[in-house]
Order: sequence, then structure tokens, then C-alpha cells
Amino acid sequence: MHRRAFLRSAAALSAGAAGCAEQAAPPGRVVVPFWFMYGGRNRATLETLVQRFNRSQGDVWLRAVFQGDYFEGLAKLRTALAAGAAPALSHVVGEIVPYLAEAGVLEGLDDYPGARALPLHPALGQAGSFRGGAGRPLVVVPFNRSTPIAYVNGRLYGAKSAPATWAELEQTAHALTAPGRFGFGCPIDWWYWAALVGQAGGEVVEPDGRVTLGGAAGARALAFWQKLVASGVMKQPPGRDYNAWEQLSQDFLAGRVAMIWSSTAFVRYLEETADFPIRALPLPRGVRAAVPTGGTHFVLLKSAPDELKLAAWRFVRFVLGADAMAFWSSETGYLPVTTDAALGLEASGFYAKHPNYRVALEQLGVAEPWPWHKSLFRIQRELVQPALEAAVLERLDPAATLAKARRAAEASAL
Amino acid sequence: MRPATPRQPLWLLSPMLAALGVFFVYPLLSALRTSFYEWDLLTPPRFVGFDNYRAIFSSGELLSSLGTTLLVSVVVVVGSLLLGLALALAVHRPGWPAALARSAVFSAYVVSWVSVGLLFLWIFDVDAGVVNRTLGALGLGPVKWLTSTRVAPLTVALIVIWKVTGYAMVVFLSGLSSLPPELQEAAALDGAGAFCRLRHITLPLLRPTAAFVAITSLIASFQLFDVVRLLTQGGPVRSTTVLVYAIYEQLFSDLRVGRASSLVVMFFMILGALTWLKLRAFRAGEPA
Repeated sequence: MHRRAFLRSAAALSAGAAGCAEQAAPPGRVVVPFWFMYGGRNRATLETLVQRFNRSQGDVWLRAVFQGDYFEGLAKLRTALAAGAAPALSHVVGEIVPYLAEAGVLEGLDDYPGARALPLHPALGQAGSFRGGAGRPLVVVPFNRSTPIAYVNGRLYGAKSAPATWAELEQTAHALTAPGRFGFGCPIDWWYWAALVGQAGGEVVEPDGRVTLGGAAGARALAFWQKLVASGVMKQPPGRDYNAWEQLSQDFLAGRVAMIWSSTAFVRYLEETADFPIRALPLPRGVRAAVPTGGTHFVLLKSAPDELKLAAWRFVRFVLGADAMAFWSSETGYLPVTTDAALGLEASGFYAKHPNYRVALEQLGVAEPWPWHKSLFRIQRELVQPALEAAVLERLDPAATLAKARRAAEASAL
Repeated sequence: MRPATPRQPLWLLSPMLAALGVFFVYPLLSALRTSFYEWDLLTPPRFVGFDNYRAIFSSGELLSSLGTTLLVSVVVVVGSLLLGLALALAVHRPGWPAALARSAVFSAYVVSWVSVGLLFLWIFDVDAGVVNRTLGALGLGPVKWLTSTRVAPLTVALIVIWKVTGYAMVVFLSGLSSLPPELQEAAALDGAGAFCRLRHITLPLLRPTAAFVAITSLIASFQLFDVVRLLTQGGPVRSTTVLVYAIYEQLFSDLRVGRASSLVVMFFMILGALTWLKLRAFRAGEPA
């Protein structure tokens, strides 16, 4: 083999080994670094969108870089911000948005072309995602947004309607439980607890800013989980954060759990992977119907050069276009964040053919905004999450456990 | 060999001193300084004196993670010491079966922690794991290896023992090879049996080796992180939050750089004390 050919092969092998499948940016393009945070099918779909964007015009080249799950990616983003090496574009979970905005690291988007006229679903933009979000400078644009929904094994559940109340959910969990199989499974996780708190009629943070963790409603939510776990009909998966979610998906797919609560983001994955029919159902109501929204929002980082931020904004607009957003939603299960994408999917008959995708969209009617609280993510990570685990696993008194967390919030001046 | 000039040793040592300064001393001094500040990496740091130290003591975080670390460490040290010694005694003989056994046991030591974590995640799965399936076949109830606050730290320790015992065995083999054979021969001639020789000759002479194994295992288990990150993420209910994982959580999850730094400083002091013990153990084994 000639030396040059050998070197070419070696370079190709090195690039392959490094997972560097992306083409180099053509000369003359503005190269925009974009840090994203999911793997598997969602990553492949996003990379397809990036390739389409890069082919659709000749000025900007978006370089998408995988940074682990949401929490790992967020840690890297913060470190990069401190080091002055943050990318121009990334996406972050809603709970951290108030903190990043108050820290002054997010670019204000109000003056970006078309920013205030995006045809966003009212529940999913900054205005609908955060209490008081409309009155604040625009700093986020929704990207992969979701709500929690229920998935059932269609072979076991049949064509019955969804459990409409907590009592019906409990009855269903008992009915579906069999030797070697739990009737119900749910990660002991802040997001699902927030759903239960809303359904029980509470608020994690009151409109006046007091951290009440739902008060009596928070305790009722926790007690409901405890009851299901203690009666042996609910599986709480091991691990924390997305490890627990993934574990529960595997249990569901393996037939070890008949019904799970998970994100609408898994619709496509579960439908394609399961060897049984999957049905998606809305969550039940308590004293009221309520679900939180989840997923992430696009953010531009203020520290990036203006040229890169403007170029990044073009990608944001591209993704929010009706076709791109419909593709993103239909390939993943995430909500179509723009009304024209949702209408397009409806008009094309997509929802009639794939009714599981419609469940989260219809639930948006009862979606509740998150409080705009600077320490919301600390309330989540430091106070609530450990308290939930402790209460369920060690069967602690829910009211006392949450009261202790509230006192910790007061002591830390959260 | 005499140095050509009085400064020559310093020049020869300077590359290593520079590396130590940049990668160890500077970060440590930086952590010490940061431990007196409240800082989230995003907004300017604010001097808070000893508040971070007060917070890690008063919240019980330091004691809790130190307690977990000590529990795991004690189980790891005792387990790897006994198992390593037993295996070394069993395979300290010529022939290919013993050589094969030595290689097999040591191979676990060179496997990456990430692979070990993923492997044991499957093995200890409460429903589908091979351990609980085997127990189930024997009519024994499922054990919550990773989901019980009481069992999870022991599971982590068990995995570390599996991983480091090969290293302990090799060190003990080296110790056994260095023992003077004439003592064993003389004792055998005097009528001492195998157990008697083990108890009165081999074990006492292996004491410095055992001290070395114990201290290195202790330090290794104090630095435990990967397997916790992969298997339990510090849970359930912080029951496997060892010191290094607590530092990681404070820094990367909770955005509390100051508190993470105060934990680093405390961790350094504990490791310093352990290293001092290690040096003392070495010196105790040296001839006067």
C-alpha cells in the first residue's frame, strides 16, 4: 500500500473510532457549536435535522456535539461557561432556566428576528411554561417538550378506557399485578411527584414564592406512592434520574410491569421495541386534572460572539418550521411545539393513524406552568428528590418528610 | 554517585516537581481558597468564611458520606485481605493450573470500572439478575441488592472486593516468594504441620505485606466513584453516597463549588492521615 493511501486509511479509521461521522464544515460557513443531550433514536433524529439544516443553506454549519444526559450536559455547560468556552446554542431543562436567566448567562431573544411571533403552543413557550414567564425577557424557545403519560401493555389491558382517578389507577394496578409482574411502575422522581401534587390540588412553590412543596397535597401524593408500593402492585425502579426511567422502560418491555408512567418522548421507542401492542393513556385526575411539562428549551449563551448567536438562531427557526417540527415530533414522540406543526400532523392523518402521539398533546389542556423560582432546580435536586426516595423506600411519614425538606429550604434561604 | 553541582538534583527533579505543582498542589490550594466562598461557577464568588464547613457538618453530609465510605472501606479491606491471602496461599505453587488460576483472578483487576459497573448492574438486577434468579431457583426470596438502603452499600463493597482481590493476591504472592524457605524447612524438620507453619511462620512474616495491602485497599476504596456513578448514583436515599461521589454531586449537580471544595479539603486531610499510617506501616516492617 502506498504511504499516502495508508495515511488516508488510518485517518479514516481514526475518525470512525472517534465517532466523528460528521462531515467537515465547507469553507466559508459560520460554524456554530450546538451541545445536545440525548442519545438513541432522539439523537439520530436530531442529527438528521442538523444535516437537513446544513444542506438547506450555504452560510451556516451547525456542529452538533453530544454531551451526555440532561444533567451531565448541564454540568458541562456550566463548566464551559465558567471557562469562557460555552457553545452558542444548547438546550436545558425548564427547572434550571430561572437560575441561568438570573445568573445573566442567557441571551435575551426578544430582538431576534421573528422571536415574538413564533407560532408556539401556548402551554409550551416561555409564557406558558413558567408562571409569569410572559412578563419576563424572552430567554428560551421550546424544543423537545413533553408531558408524563401512562403506557400500558395492550395485550394485558385491552381496549379499556384510561383510569380516570387515583382510585381507578390503584384498582387497575391491582388487577394487572400477577406473579412475576407488577401492575404499575413509576420512577420515584420529582417530575411524576409534581404531576401528583398538581392532581392533589397543590403547588410546589406558591405564587408568592414560598416553597411549600405542595403542603398537604405534596404529602398525599407521596402517600399514594407509598400505598401502591406497600401493597406490592407498584415497582419503583433502581437508580436515579434517567437510569431509573430507562430501567423501568426495560421492565415494561420485558413484561415485568404492565403499566408505567413515563414521558411522551418514549412513544416511538416503545412502539418500535415492544413485542406487544402499546397504548398511551392520559394520567388520572385527583381533585383536579394536572400535568407538568418537561423536556428542554433552546437557549443561546450570551458569552458567544454575536455572529454565532445569529447563525444559531437560524437553526432554531429552522427546527420550529412546520415540516422540521412535524418530523421531529413524529419520529420521537416529543410534542410538536408549534401550532402549525400540530395542525399539519392532524391534517396529514398522522394522529388518526398513531393515536398514542395525541395523548400528550391533548393533556396540554391541563398542563401547569413551573414557578419562576431561582432555586427551582435546587428544590428539585437537593430537597425533593432525596425526600421522595427516603419516604418511599424507608416508609417514612410523608408529611414529616416533606416538612423536614421545607425546613431545609428555609435554612438554605431557597 | 555525587551530583556535579549542588543544584543538579533540583534540576533533575524539576519536571516532576513542576507536574506535581500544576496538577496537585495548585488545584489543592485552589480548592482550599474556594472552600471559603459561595460560588456556582456562573456568578461572582462571595466570601463566606467557614460557612461551607459549618454546612457540611451541620447537614450531616460529611459524617454521612464519611460513614458510608468507612463502611464500604472496612468491608473491602477485610474481604480483599482475607480472600487475597487465601487465594495466594492456594495458588502459590508451580504448574500451569496454578498459573491459570493466578491469571484468571488477576484479570478482574485490569477490567475497567465502567465495564464492571454495567456487568454487575445486570447480575444484581432485582428481577432479572442472575443472582436473584439462582436464589429464586433455590427457593430463596429476592434480595434488593441495589434498591435497599441496607444492602446497597454492601453490594458496592462486594463488587470492589471482586475487582481488587486479584491485586491483593499478587502482592501476597510476592510476599510469599520473598519469605526465606529455610525457616519453613527447619520448622518442618522440627515436626511442625502445615497449619502450624502457616500460623507461626508465614502469617507473622507476611504482616508488612498485609499492612501494605490493607492500606492500599483502604485508599482505593476511599477513592471509589465509577461503580457508584454507574450502579446506584449514590442512592437509594444516599446510602451509597461515598465521599468522592458527594463531592461530584455538590459540584456538578447542586452547583455548590464552595461546599464541594470544603469536602475536597476534608477528604485530603483524611487521605493524608491514611498515607501517614501507610508510611508508618512500611517503616514498622523495615529492619531497625
